[in-house]
Amino acid sequence: MIYFDSAATTFQKPAAVAAAMQNAMRTMSSPGRGGHHAAMRAAETAFTCRSELAELYGMPNPECVVFTLNATHALNIAIKSLVRPGDRVVISGYEHNAVTRPLAALGAEIAVADGPLFRPEEVLEAFRHQITPETRAVICNHVSNVFGFIQPVEEIAAICRSRKVPLIIDASQSAGILPLDMTELGAAFIAMPGHKGLYGPQGTGVLLCGGEVQVRTLLEGGTGSLSIQQEMPDFLPDRLEAGTHNMPGIAGLLAGVRFIRRRGVEKICQRERRLTLLAAEGLRTIPGVEVYAMPGLRNQAGVLSFTAKERDVEEIGMALAERDIAVRTGLHCAPLAHRSAGTLDSGTVRLSFSDFNTPEEVYRFLTALKRKLR
Amino acid sequence: MEHYLIIARSVTFAQRMQRALGRTGIRCQIFRAPRELTDLGCAYVVRIAVSDLAPALMTLRRESLDPVQIFLYQRGLYQEVKA
Repeated sequence: MIYFDSAATTFQKPAAVAAAMQNAMRTMSSPGRGGHHAAMRAAETAFTCRSELAELYGMPNPECVVFTLNATHALNIAIKSLVRPGDRVVISGYEHNAVTRPLAALGAEIAVADGPLFRPEEVLEAFRHQITPETRAVICNHVSNVFGFIQPVEEIAAICRSRKVPLIIDASQSAGILPLDMTELGAAFIAMPGHKGLYGPQGTGVLLCGGEVQVRTLLEGGTGSLSIQQEMPDFLPDRLEAGTHNMPGIAGLLAGVRFIRRRGVEKICQRERRLTLLAAEGLRTIPGVEVYAMPGLRNQAGVLSFTAKERDVEEIGMALAERDIAVRTGLHCAPLAHRSAGTLDSGTVRLSFSDFNTPEEVYRFLTALKRKLR
Repeated sequence: MEHYLIIARSVTFAQRMQRALGRTGIRCQIFRAPRELTDLGCAYVVRIAVSDLAPALMTLRRESLDPVQIFLYQRGLYQEVKA
């Protein structure tokens, strides 16, 4: 199979990930749930995973790295910690439903800082304009899951710091691909999946918590600490980690994180961008295909959308699937991003790469697509 | 054998204490807290040698890792000590 759907989940993982998961199932129980060897091995693995993520994201305290089920879970905790019904929240024009649906459910007043694709200066200007004294929180993804647009989160973070508005960064598409420094950014939260660019298994996610936010619980239950009291502990990570941990997942995530640290985030990004550029240039030679990318792939990571004139994107996706080429079609759970880019009616076909893809796979995809669109 | 038990508020904090102490050359181990020592319900302790208490507390203070309680184990009995 040629797998170009890594923005949903990376499918090819380092071999160490499955091995770590199997080892966890054989040797680990629950961290913080006993003093026996199986519990302490689990605690050691969980702590090491927190510590390595903390180092990767410039955080001094590993306890502020919270394990979640996925990025959506992490974003829900972050949003529901900061936003109350009726609060004004400024978001970018490229947010996922993982952001917009919790805000809608809360009844927040949503202000969209909209800007055209791949034009970070204009997006920044929109944020400057939309962040008012009434703004309760700002939420922005680092990279659009539909178009790969790298948003100017460092500059947005600087505006938020100067105006004292908490910032939530959705790093779903940038984790493991672009660097982020929690301390430098001063963000309230950064949410990310474990199963995309960090190469962990599905069922893993991470919430990085800034120091000063009072976090609200989504779940209450056992934490292996302060068991006598009926309120959840007020310290991290226990406050946000009720119930038994996904130890095979965390062990796999640790193996994935070690893979990207060894390989280097910059190298992975370079490889994905080279493949994206190759695909974009190839797609541009096909009559009727519209590619959403700037020349030289300016301000774009390893995600690429395209449409074909008078062709249903679903039809293209199905034809490629028949040739064992996995892409994602439709709205990608991000109708707001499609509205901002003007593709809400058609949707797009999305290619998204990982460190395991090759130029040969891109050529084979282009050949298959040309045949389909002939 | 005499030793000190430093109670941490969670296993994660006990692990942070262990790492911090390890970096300054202080040997320690993590255990579950004896039930008689804490009314927290479930807790973990970091065990250190008697001679290491002063440098250990300095290290923990520097890293903002406040012990919940500290006990001296001596002649089969635990006695709380103030940091």
